[in-house]
Amino acid sequence: MRLLAILLRKELHAIFTSPIAYTVAAVFLLVLGYTFALTLFATKVANLNYIFHQMYVLSILLVPVLTMRSLAEERRNETVELLLTAPVAEVWIVFAKFLANLVLVLALYSGSLVYAAILARYGTPDWGPIWGGYLALAALAFLLTAIGVLTSSLAENQVVAAAGALGVFLMLWFADSVAPYLPAPLDLVAINLSLIGHFRPMATGSVFLSDFGYFLVLGMAALFLATRRLGER
Amino acid sequence: MTGPAIAANAVTRRFGPTIAVDRLDLQVARGEILGLLGPNGSGKTTLIRMIAGFLNPTEGSITVAGHDTVDDAMTTRRRIGYVPESVPLYRHMRVREFLAFMARLRGIEGGEVDAAIDRVAGSLALGEVIDKPIPALSRGYRQRVGIAQALVHDPEIVLLDEPANGLDPRQIIELRRTIQALAGRHTVVLSSHILSEVGRVADRVAIMLRGRLLGVRSVAETPDLEAWFLSLT
Repeated sequence: MRLLAILLRKELHAIFTSPIAYTVAAVFLLVLGYTFALTLFATKVANLNYIFHQMYVLSILLVPVLTMRSLAEERRNETVELLLTAPVAEVWIVFAKFLANLVLVLALYSGSLVYAAILARYGTPDWGPIWGGYLALAALAFLLTAIGVLTSSLAENQVVAAAGALGVFLMLWFADSVAPYLPAPLDLVAINLSLIGHFRPMATGSVFLSDFGYFLVLGMAALFLATRRLGER
Repeated sequence: MTGPAIAANAVTRRFGPTIAVDRLDLQVARGEILGLLGPNGSGKTTLIRMIAGFLNPTEGSITVAGHDTVDDAMTTRRRIGYVPESVPLYRHMRVREFLAFMARLRGIEGGEVDAAIDRVAGSLALGEVIDKPIPALSRGYRQRVGIAQALVHDPEIVLLDEPANGLDPRQIIELRRTIQALAGRHTVVLSSHILSEVGRVADRVAIMLRGRLLGVRSVAETPDLEAWFLSLT
């Protein structure tokens, strides 16, 4: 745990001294504010459903930009040699990268809490779907960040890492689209792989353990594969 | 403790069909400076990376102070300080921060970190730049910081891969003095393709070509290194 703390501190320092984090945060919060104002004036309904779906789409597009540098940059700058020849298990290196990026994504999401506060101040929102929505976002951040770190571990070029992560996210998003064309039981596999299929119920207040399991299992699998990849010597 | 500091036993490393190091046997005594000499692509860097634990041998084994670099990797990595050829450094850090990070990563804790930094900063004359950002350093200082991170935990063994690359004549002289100062207290393996440089600092010279070890000789007992080198290659 001591090594994880040392590595995490270094990663957070690297992330929060990089212009990428601030650029992504600005884009994220700008688009989110615009969407919130627009939907609130258009629907006059005190909920955050639109915001959660907007955050889902923005996460698909922007998380790859945040995670792309994780391990790809270490490889390109060859600093990975310093890490891998120090007495540190690969799993701590991957976990530190993952946690630092997760902190950043959750910090971005926390910017949207101001909208919940506005709804509470001027209306009487149903809090169940709002808490469910934030749970869904936390689970989404866990999975997307883990996959982002995995694709970053596979590539030396950051753009390739980002493109790879975006590709995986989009494939997961639309995984259920191919279900009608697949024989049983592959159709069920495709349906159950769908990212939006597990996000939407939670984001609208229907919290199921199976949805949590989806995010947790896929996220852990991605981190496991990233650790294996980093450990290839 | 008895036995060699480093022992390579019939070590082979393949990258796909390419054999980078071919059935190499080598022993390095404690406190010795061994120069690895050979043209680019002769396998020097691969051998050093295997000793450092960055790469695993495809066949054979390497022991560091009697510990296997694969089976007992954490123990061997604690005993080694390694400066890769490109001298990778974290660009978002200042020199002191970087050295503190590397020291903590190698198990130095609390007030000992500052003491270790002061020690290496003193011996490598880094006082002038210790609080400067790493991107602001000259090539010579970057090289010294690279060596400082390898020495910060006072390792038994120091591995230097092409340490004179890119340095001007004055910096090469300073580097030579630094390496000579390590003799006795540390076992040093350094690689180079410049025969005269290796001859000036090493106790023994090992010549590699196409992954094979062609010969090892004491510098003191080989008055004409150049003739010996030419006779082998």
